Amino acid sequence: MEQQTQGATVFGFLTALDSPTHGVFGGYLVVDAIGRPIEFHCTAPVKVSRAQQILYGASLPGHLHGQQIGAALLAEGSVTPIVVLTDHNAMLSVRQHTPLPVALVGLRSEAAEPPPGVFAMGDVYVCPPAGSADDTDALRQHLDHLRVAVDLTEPFERIRAAIEEAQRH
Amino acid sequence: MRRLRKRSATKALLQKAVMLDPRGNATVRSLSAVDLQLTTRGITSQRVPRIAPVQAVRLPLDRVRPTVLRVPLLDARPRVVSHRFPRPTDPLLPPVTRPVEQQQPSDAVENCVMGDIADSHGASQSRRRTRIAPPGDVVKLSERLFFVLQPDLETTLQASQLEFPREPFPFQLDGMAFLMPRHGAILADEMGLGKSMQAISSLRLLVRSGQARRVLVVCPKGLVSNWARELADWAPELVVAVIEGDPLRRRWQWTLPDVPVKVANYEAVVRDREMIEELGLSFDLVVLDEAQRIKNRSSNTHQAVGGLQRGRSWALTGTPVENSAEDLVALFDFIAPGHVNDRMTPKALGAAAADYVLRRTKDKVLTEMPPRMNRDERIELTPEQRDTYRRAEEEGVLRLSALGKEATIQNVFELVLRLKQICNFDPPTGESAKLDCLTAELEEVQASGKKALVFSQWVETLGRLEGKLARFGALQYHGGMSTVARDEAIHRFKHDRQHSVLLLSYGAGAVGLNLQFSQYVFLFDRWWNPAIEDQAINRAHRIGAAGAVTVTRFLSADTIEERIDEVLRRKRDLSELILSQAEAPAARGLTAADLFSLFRLPAPGRAAA
Repeated sequence: MEQQTQGATVFGFLTALDSPTHGVFGGYLVVDAIGRPIEFHCTAPVKVSRAQQILYGASLPGHLHGQQIGAALLAEGSVTPIVVLTDHNAMLSVRQHTPLPVALVGLRSEAAEPPPGVFAMGDVYVCPPAGSADDTDALRQHLDHLRVAVDLTEPFERIRAAIEEAQRH
Repeated sequence: MRRLRKRSATKALLQKAVMLDPRGNATVRSLSAVDLQLTTRGITSQRVPRIAPVQAVRLPLDRVRPTVLRVPLLDARPRVVSHRFPRPTDPLLPPVTRPVEQQQPSDAVENCVMGDIADSHGASQSRRRTRIAPPGDVVKLSERLFFVLQPDLETTLQASQLEFPREPFPFQLDGMAFLMPRHGAILADEMGLGKSMQAISSLRLLVRSGQARRVLVVCPKGLVSNWARELADWAPELVVAVIEGDPLRRRWQWTLPDVPVKVANYEAVVRDREMIEELGLSFDLVVLDEAQRIKNRSSNTHQAVGGLQRGRSWALTGTPVENSAEDLVALFDFIAPGHVNDRMTPKALGAAAADYVLRRTKDKVLTEMPPRMNRDERIELTPEQRDTYRRAEEEGVLRLSALGKEATIQNVFELVLRLKQICNFDPPTGESAKLDCLTAELEEVQASGKKALVFSQWVETLGRLEGKLARFGALQYHGGMSTVARDEAIHRFKHDRQHSVLLLSYGAGAVGLNLQFSQYVFLFDRWWNPAIEDQAINRAHRIGAAGAVTVTRFLSADTIEERIDEVLRRKRDLSELILSQAEAPAARGLTAADLFSLFRLPAPGRAAA
C-alpha cells in the first residue's frame, strides 16, 4: 500500500457481496471527507467449494473475507485511509492484516443496548474487532468528523451498486 | 419353552446392537463389528417395545484402497480490478451566508442547508436518496462507476454546506441528478417547475467540484437580469458577469478571468460570433434558456449558438415541440448533433430522445401545488363593435374571394389581425366589451388585495388598457421598453400595493418571469400557439404560488376568436404525443388550410403558416 500522496483525509469502506451463482465479490471504496469517491477496487468472485467449507469450518468466513478478499483489496489502494469501515462481520478480521483501525458499522436498534466495546454514533453503532480496543479512541475521533457529512452506512450501498454495475458491464 | 428361549436370545442380541429410547425408536450401535440381520416381527413380549424394521447393513471389513480427495486451500489472492477517479476540487469560497432580506418576497423563507431538512444523522433509514445514474451514452465502465459511486445528492449538498433560499423539491433534485452527469440534455419541465433553479444548482455543483470552470448562460434579452437575480439566489458564491454594452466592453467581459459564470443574451452571441471565435473562447458548459429560440435551423441564432466551443450543452425549454417534431431535432443539433433526424417517426424520435430529455408536468410532481382554474369568458361584442366587425369581415371575405387563387396566407393573416383588433377595441368608438368585463373583474381583484396579470399580443392594446385601468395602478411590460424600465415595472408591481395590474405582451412577458404572487391571469386576446399561452399563464402559476391561480381567457362570441380557439385546441396535444413516443397526430398545427378555413375559403395549396 502506498503512502497517502496528497495529504487529504480519506476513509475506506470495505464490504462483500454474496452471489449465489458467482461466489463472493469484495468491494473497497475510498472516499474523501465529504463522501466523494477517490478509488474503487473490486475482486473477481471467489467461489468456495463444499469441501473447503468443511475443511475450513468456522474459520472460513474470517479467512475468506478478512485475509483473502479484504487484505487483497486494501493492498491495492494507492491512498491510505485513516480508518476502514465494514458492514460485514467477517471482514473485521482484516484487522489482523492491516495496521489501520477497522470497525463494523450498522444501523443501531433503539431497543437493543450496545454490547461492551460497541459505541454509538448517532443512529449508527461502531464495533471494533475483538482485541482492538485501542482503536476505539481513534475511531471515535475520525468518525465524528466524517459522520457530519456522510451517513456511515450509505457508502456500502454504492459499493454494492458498483459491483452490480460491473457485473452487467 | 424352546421357542421362548429363542425369543430371549433374539431379544438379548437385539438389545446389544440396538439401543431403544423410551418411545421405541431404535438407534443402531456397534455395527462396525457385527454382521447383523434380524427380524423383529413376531416379538410380542410386553416388556420389549415394538420397534420399526431395521435395514440390514453390511460393512465390508476387507481392505479397500481409499480415494484421496485433494482440497485446495483458499490462499490464492483473487484478481482485483481498480478504478481511480479524478480528485475532486473545491476551488471556490466556503458557503456564503446571505441575509434573508435580499430574497424575493415570494420565496422569503429562511435560507436552509440540506441536511438541516434531511434530519441529519437521525433518519438514515427513511431519508430520501437521489442517486446520479450514469447516462445511457456513457459506455466505459470506469466512467459509469464514477457516477454510480457518487454520494447521493442529499449527502453532497449537506456535506458541502451549500445554502439555498428554500429546500429544493424532490423532483428538482431528480432534475439535478439528470443534468449533472450529462453532456447533452434537454430539461423540458412544464413552466413554473424551476428549470433555472435546477440548472443553476447543477452548474453550481459542477463548478464547486472542479468539473466546470467556464459556464455560459444564454437567454432572451428580457431575462438577463432575471438570470442574474436567480444566480445570486441559488449560487451566491459564484461570480457572475453579464455580457452587455459596447463592443469594447463586451470584448473585455468575454475575456474576464476567474469569472466562472457569464450570462449573455441570444443577440449578443449572434453579434459577437466572430469575436468569440477570434478570442478562441471555449466553455465547459453552455446553458440555453428558452432554447426554443434555436428551433429555426437556418437562423443566425441557431448557427451562432451551435458554433460555441463547449464541453456540455444543456437546453432549457418548457416547449421542446412547439409546432412540429423538427423543433426537437433543432434542439438536438445543439445538445447531441446527429443523434436524431427529421426522417424519424415521432415514436422513433421519442425513443432516441428519451435519455436526453427530462420532462415533468405540474400535475405529476406538484400534487400539493395550488390549483389552476381555467375559465373561458365568452363575451358579446357591443353593438358598435359588432357593426364594425361585421363590415370588416364581409369586406375582407369579399376581397379574398375576389382574389381567388391569388389569395395568399398574408392576405388571410391581415384580415385575422384586423378582426382580432376589433374584438379588443372598436376603432371608431373605442368601445370594448372585453374592457368592460375586465374592469369589473379587476375591481374585485383590487378589493381583495390581490394582483393580476393581463396579456395581449399588441403593445398598442396594452397602451390603451393602461390608460383605462389607471385606477388599478396598471403598469406595462413589453419588448418596446428598455431593460431598466421593465425591471422597474416588475419591482413596483411586486412591492407597491397600489399597483394591482401588470399589462404584458406575450412576446416579452411569457417567458422567464417569476410572478407567482399574482393570483389572476387574464388573456385579453389569444396567441397563435397554445404553448405560448401556457408560458404566460405559468408566470403566476408556478412554484411559490401562494394560492389558487385563476386564468380567464376572453373570447368574443361568434367571431374569429372562437374559430381560432377551435384550431388551438387541436394543436395542444402535439408536444405530448411526441414526448410520449406516440404516433403522429392527424392534424399537426395551424396550416394554410386552417387559416383559410377560418373564413370557409378553400386553401390554394400553399405552405403552412
